[in-house]
Amino acid sequence: MTIELQDIRDFLAAHRPFDQLPPHVLDGLPRQLEARYVRRDTVILQPGDTNSALYILRSGAVAVRDERGDLLQQLGEGDCFGARSLLRGGDVVDKTSAIEDSLLYQLPADAFHMLRSEHRQFAYYFEPMGGPRLREAMQLRGGMSNSDTGVITPPVRILMRSDPVSLPSSGSIADAARMMTDSGISSVLVIDDGVLRGIVTDRDIRSRCVAAGISRERPVQEIMTRDPHTIDRNSLGLDAMVTMLHHNIRHLPVVDGRRVVGVLTATDMNQRQSASPVYLVGNIGKQNSAEALAAIARRLEQVLLALVDADATAQSIGRIISAIGDAITRRLLQLAEEKFGAPPVPYVWFTAGSLARAEQTALSDQDNGVILSDAFVADQHGEYFERLSHWVCDGLNACGYMYCPGGVMASNQKWRQPLRVWKEYFSRWIDTPEPKALMHASIFFDLRAIYGEAQLLRELQQDTLPRTQNNAIFLAYMAANALQYRPPLGFFRHFVLVHDKQHDRTLDLKKNGIIPIVDLARVYALAGGVHGVNTVDRLERSAAASSLSKDGATDLLDALEFIGMVRLRHQADRIRRQQTPDNFVSPTEISRFDRDHLKDAFVIVQTMQEALDQRYQATRFL
Amino acid sequence: MILDWILNLDQRRRRLLRNAPPGPVADYLSVPFPDRNRYCDETEFLALDLETTGLEFARDEILSVGFVPVRALRLHFADSTSLMIRPARPIPPDTAVVHQIFDDQAASGSELHEIMPLVLRALAGKIMIAHHAPVEAGFLAAACQRLYGFKPIFPAIDTLELEKRSLRRREQVVRSGALRLGALRERYGLPRHGAHNALNDAIAVAELFLAQVAHRSASGRLRLGDVF
Repeated sequence: MTIELQDIRDFLAAHRPFDQLPPHVLDGLPRQLEARYVRRDTVILQPGDTNSALYILRSGAVAVRDERGDLLQQLGEGDCFGARSLLRGGDVVDKTSAIEDSLLYQLPADAFHMLRSEHRQFAYYFEPMGGPRLREAMQLRGGMSNSDTGVITPPVRILMRSDPVSLPSSGSIADAARMMTDSGISSVLVIDDGVLRGIVTDRDIRSRCVAAGISRERPVQEIMTRDPHTIDRNSLGLDAMVTMLHHNIRHLPVVDGRRVVGVLTATDMNQRQSASPVYLVGNIGKQNSAEALAAIARRLEQVLLALVDADATAQSIGRIISAIGDAITRRLLQLAEEKFGAPPVPYVWFTAGSLARAEQTALSDQDNGVILSDAFVADQHGEYFERLSHWVCDGLNACGYMYCPGGVMASNQKWRQPLRVWKEYFSRWIDTPEPKALMHASIFFDLRAIYGEAQLLRELQQDTLPRTQNNAIFLAYMAANALQYRPPLGFFRHFVLVHDKQHDRTLDLKKNGIIPIVDLARVYALAGGVHGVNTVDRLERSAAASSLSKDGATDLLDALEFIGMVRLRHQADRIRRQQTPDNFVSPTEISRFDRDHLKDAFVIVQTMQEALDQRYQATRFL
Repeated sequence: MILDWILNLDQRRRRLLRNAPPGPVADYLSVPFPDRNRYCDETEFLALDLETTGLEFARDEILSVGFVPVRALRLHFADSTSLMIRPARPIPPDTAVVHQIFDDQAASGSELHEIMPLVLRALAGKIMIAHHAPVEAGFLAAACQRLYGFKPIFPAIDTLELEKRSLRRREQVVRSGALRLGALRERYGLPRHGAHNALNDAIAVAELFLAQVAHRSASGRLRLGDVF
């Protein structure tokens, strides 16, 4: 026998959260509904009303506005409203009105609460939007992962070599060299009484002992790397890869608590997967021309694809792709120094923007600059650095890191200056903020040293960072800057109404999703006097420094990761279809699941933007 | 005057009631029809649709009845009803295609005499809503004649007639097909309605009626007389 009211049942079954209900519950649901028709501009719920039903939009569209009349949400076919007032006993706070002629189903409050108490997924859907809901969604996603490729998903304990070779810090360099040769390995650990002190690699023996003219009989502690980076035995191969690439190292001691249980090397990882990013980066150092580097850079998209398919996190992928950019830049600078000779005065080459934040995904424009030592004399040294900078920027362009349209490149003399000039620049941006200066500030507060004397950049940052921390006017300007791009909550209307011919519109996930979070994190970091430019680092450290609430940090971290993953999956799809990866997601390619949770992520961003605006009264500068 | 007509309607009901044989028809007629001065949002309606073997009241048979009550200008699905009737004669194949009701399916239904009291009870004191209502009213009256030897009256709002009237008032030319249920629903922004069966069609008609009322309420609450 056919089920009565089958049409209504089918409609419910096609929409959240009713699709989460078991079939026999869905069968009985239509009989509990009432239907009404409202014309455009009809007020359905308003403050002061007592709501007694969950509304389900069968057709048409409604808008939810707060008491000031600001649009909170636009809803279309299949969306629900009225749940929030039901959850506080019927008290209506916002105003909901039809913006198109609409047919509404109403589920009585009793039935709504019954469904909530009996069906967890149904209840969960109506939990306050934003952080908690997004987190649960991300766990669901994580659970879907089923790939096990190469070195990315297995834990480090499976990939490592156990029983590491070690010697005490008093052992000689010669002992260390012998042990390496005997065991056919490229590093030994330095361990005193079970405590890891350092690591010595074959390269250390070459450069710090033989080349530096130190006796082989000296204790190994003189040339070892002290307190090396380690990795927990239960971390994923991917984490190890990120750590290696991020710190540009090839050997990682593996620890279980404080005990060293093994060593993982880049070579171990490469043997398991020749297409791995670690291998790619290792190879970059062996190339001798910009053309050869460009050939490697072209494989970057395939690396991105492999990482997305392996369910790596957006944060990890950003670090890995950026590490490749770092390696290419570094190699170009080495080649430039071979070509033009050793630098006449110390300098540091830095990158700005997403590469500096270690958040690069697909290839993007280059942003970079040079800080020269104050020993720089333009007449004597100017030409050298001009030629070097042009050669490197041209090389990067050839590798696909296109020239910066805004001219923020070391080849531009303005951004190739001695330390004292850089200090003046920053003073001006901090003390007399104005729109143009602000734009530069947002670029130049995200810097990372890539090659040369990193100390020069540290000095600049030590000079500037304390001055931003308590500068209320400057922070207010930076806050205003962080409010420039708003999350496009209204956009979701077009996801719903594909028949309104708007479905060819796309959502810019970078501009409207990632950048607002990056900008927020920068303000928290500057307000908290926090070092580091990576957005995740900034959010975590700002929470520790109390310039951001713990909950706020957790929410933003989740939002960033979720938007980041939707963007990366989109880019991977485009790569698979041999299109250029971009940031423009169209509604047709996005699942209902992602759509709902993108909305959660955007709600978080909006909430945090509003809080920032309140704190700094930032909109007065917009 | 229409006013006289509605007054006459309740007079006719009382006169019919005096002559009706005891039973379902008399029970039906004993409940007063709503006054035409009553507000629509206080009036009870019953949207109703029939599937039949043809269009001739006297000869063709009712195969199924679907109805949904409208109270306070809301459809109440809890009281929606779908009834199948076992026809006395085999269903002509051409109508079976339209209704997708076939003999074996219809055979599982009840007899007309079991169904009609339910329909009459549901309709008592309500205004019927149907698209091209004369068909529904005609078949119900014929069924009463056959079963009880007596024809009551079925005051009904015809959603098709209602639309035609306002189009005529605006002196618009009615294109053929423009007054079909599906076409009208589309004009009012209502979703496409699904499978062709009596209950679905009754719901579709009820929703159309709500839309028609909403669009005619711009200057205030409508009274029954405004749409009847």
